[in-house]
Amino acid sequence: MSKNTLALCRQAPYGNALAREGLEAILAAAAMDQAPAVLFLGDGVFQLAGQKPEAIAEKNLRRNIQALPMFDVETLHVCKSSLLQRGIMPEALQVPGADIELVEDCGSFIRKFDHVLSF
Amino acid sequence: MTLHIVSKSPYSSSALTDCASSCAEGDAIVLIEDAVYGAVETYPEITERAPVYCLQSDAEARGIVIGKNVEGIDETRWVTLCTEHNPIVSWFK
Amino acid sequence: MKFTLVIYGAPHASEGAATALRFARALLEAGHTLYRVFFYADGIHNGSALAAPPQDEQDLLGQWQQLQQAHQLDLVVCIAAAQRRGLLSESEATRLEKPAANLAEGFELAGLGQLAEATAASDRIVTFGG
Repeated sequence: MSKNTLALCRQAPYGNALAREGLEAILAAAAMDQAPAVLFLGDGVFQLAGQKPEAIAEKNLRRNIQALPMFDVETLHVCKSSLLQRGIMPEALQVPGADIELVEDCGSFIRKFDHVLSF
Repeated sequence: MTLHIVSKSPYSSSALTDCASSCAEGDAIVLIEDAVYGAVETYPEITERAPVYCLQSDAEARGIVIGKNVEGIDETRWVTLCTEHNPIVSWFK
Repeated sequence: MKFTLVIYGAPHASEGAATALRFARALLEAGHTLYRVFFYADGIHNGSALAAPPQDEQDLLGQWQQLQQAHQLDLVVCIAAAQRRGLLSESEATRLEKPAANLAEGFELAGLGQLAEATAASDRIVTFGG
């Protein structure tokens, strides 16, 4: 039976491995034709901002983000108040091939799903 | 209706405030592990929109007295709450 | 009801894995089914056979193994997360030319597909953070 799943991403990109491992889990599910919806909330919104991780010898997480639309995750949902709180302009978020959709009421958004995987 | 599970102290993490602002009418919140520090009488009300439960064993372990607006529950009741709500969201950072 | 638990916490490091054990026991006692336990991120360390906690501390590995035996649980450790952190089965250790294997009995290594499959097959997914 197909379930409606949301991946909730709340980690900033490089301080915690769960940011990367969350995206890997999303891509793995998508590769099995079970692409979840994705919501970036809290520090998770920093995953969508500009990065230059070569400075700390890390792989660029943006590559995983940019792979999402290729695996049928074409809409990236982003918590609007998390952006504003962090002084990020929504226009600054660009992911080729993906639509960025701001979510104002995350509570109503989350409850539409059968499962939420938190990362 | 969503069941929110929070496991970090409100003094060290945004888990509880992120949860509270993502809480819809009729949801419920369970405080476990270090989040039980948010279950005491002196902690400000978390949200008007959802009942708040606290895992009794974690509170007891930390010497926490649960405030009157929060209901203490055991693991069995926690499982029941999980069966009564969907989806289940964990806030652990 | 069919539950799947996802665990990110390393044992003896944060409370998450111990909480998950208490939750797992409670759901099994209530007559529910534990479809799978998926160990991910730092949670993979729960599958290390080499944990040797002092005798007066709880033995989380032993408790998982007991529960696994009693209920034929599917304890799955994510293979990619495990390789990064140095948790290997015999065959993985040989394949990767590493000097030792340390995956505990009762646990198995498998890919992230097992998480996606469990998500589709379960009524409830509960995540235990680190």
